[in-house]
Amino acid sequence: MNKHLTQLLIAIAVMSATSVACAAELVVVVNPSNPATAMTAAQASQFFLGKSAMFTPVDLPENSPIRAEFYKKVADKDMSEVKTIWSKLVFTGKGTAPKEMHNNAEVKKAVAANPTGIGYIERSAVDSTVKVVTVLP
Amino acid sequence: MKLTPFIALLAMTSAVSAAWADDTSNVTISGFGTAALTRGNSSDAEFARPNQLAGVTSSAKTGVDSNFGIQVTAKMNDWLSFTGQGLVRKNVTDNFGAELAWAFAKAKVNDNLNLRLGRVGLPVYMISDYRNVGYANTMIRPPVEMYTQVTLESLDGIDALYQTNFGDTAVTAQVTYGVTDADNRGGFTAKFKNVSSVNIVAENGPFTFRFGRVDAKVTVDNSTNLNTLVSGLNKFGFATAANAIAVNDTKASFTSVGLGVDWKNFVVQAEYGKRSSASLSIADTTSWYTMFGYRTGSFLPYFVHASATQDSPRTVAGLPTSGPLLPYTLGANGLASASPIQTSNSIGVRWDFHKSAALKLQLDRMSPDNGPGVFINAKPGFKGPVTVFAAAVDFVF
Repeated sequence: MNKHLTQLLIAIAVMSATSVACAAELVVVVNPSNPATAMTAAQASQFFLGKSAMFTPVDLPENSPIRAEFYKKVADKDMSEVKTIWSKLVFTGKGTAPKEMHNNAEVKKAVAANPTGIGYIERSAVDSTVKVVTVLP
Repeated sequence: MKLTPFIALLAMTSAVSAAWADDTSNVTISGFGTAALTRGNSSDAEFARPNQLAGVTSSAKTGVDSNFGIQVTAKMNDWLSFTGQGLVRKNVTDNFGAELAWAFAKAKVNDNLNLRLGRVGLPVYMISDYRNVGYANTMIRPPVEMYTQVTLESLDGIDALYQTNFGDTAVTAQVTYGVTDADNRGGFTAKFKNVSSVNIVAENGPFTFRFGRVDAKVTVDNSTNLNTLVSGLNKFGFATAANAIAVNDTKASFTSVGLGVDWKNFVVQAEYGKRSSASLSIADTTSWYTMFGYRTGSFLPYFVHASATQDSPRTVAGLPTSGPLLPYTLGANGLASASPIQTSNSIGVRWDFHKSAALKLQLDRMSPDNGPGVFINAKPGFKGPVTVFAAAVDFVF
């Protein structure tokens, strides 16, 4: 038992990682052709948590502090809770987790290219290729 | 422990990922697993998950709670995809064996409706679909008292999944129809025909409500024990008793409701289910559990109470209580009382120590009643309560 415990603890130590937090104003953006004009945070969160398939969400990378902040603000969820929610959908064949984009620019590009696209970026990155529907202060 | 299936699956995965390393491909590979050690404090009976052939006594083993799964999804176009999931675990046999958990073609009819054809998961319980994905669950394992009632996990057939929103409430309705053969650790096969299931889930903010119902016709024709008892009782003029224990095109059902709450730091998960059948060999039962958890940072301590009781008689009426036919009476009563009666209290903690992995520790205090409960290979005179301890790392990738 002791040997096994030691192995477990080593595994944990190796896999542990810390994340850094940061704060910026975030916005939820959709394709300009999307008729939606405003969304509550709760409505927007549905698409990112797999509760509605009406829009096609895109994510930022897992290690992105913006992503962590977004889910905290939009649904009060930690990254591990979001991952748990998606693992329920993914491993039951009910859904596929949002595609990951590398940065704000890629998110805008993906949303601009897809009429049902939805993403989140820093407010400072907004331009005419996308439409803001939710502001997360 | 046999490593071959693990290695085979890993080899398969790396071969597939190498072949599909192209970033633009529409094939996604994901996986999950649990590395666990489980032990009990009794050497008189083994603790096992439902349908495992062997379990743990007082020395720690990996077999009860460990598993490893790989899922591959190939998206053909906007509306058609194929999904296969392979699972390695100990089930029915005492070796780690690889199974095809499911394999289906999924057609998206519109934003609300999806049809699936092939081997699809059977949503008997609230967490049926992801019961093997430790990472997706708070507890180390679904409470055995309830999850032993119906051990079917998939059907070969078709299902329709309808998702819609009423205001802030997201509703998912799932209808499944098909057949399946289930090997039982008792050495026989239960053949399920005309299996139909309805599963309705409503989610509103922090609340999830769920209703499920499964109906089936069950036949067991290759159990030596059952066949001997039924033919013997018929031969000696106890046709009523023989019919009472026979499992031949027998109607059986499981009806359950579930509640999930994830409000601020509070996490609640509860289910209540009733099993019923026309045969005393598949006893009518009531089972339920309630889990309370409190999330604090990356730690989620929880408490669970679970219970299984029997509603149908544990003896078969009208049989001789002495004389040369006594073995038949005892055999028939053995079938009528095979369902576990048990309660348990558990405490545990889940720690999300990594973005894709969680550590869990769980201590169960299980009190079997009127028999060995969920424990198997019990020595004569075995008595509970038994303490079971498990430590596990769950991961997804």
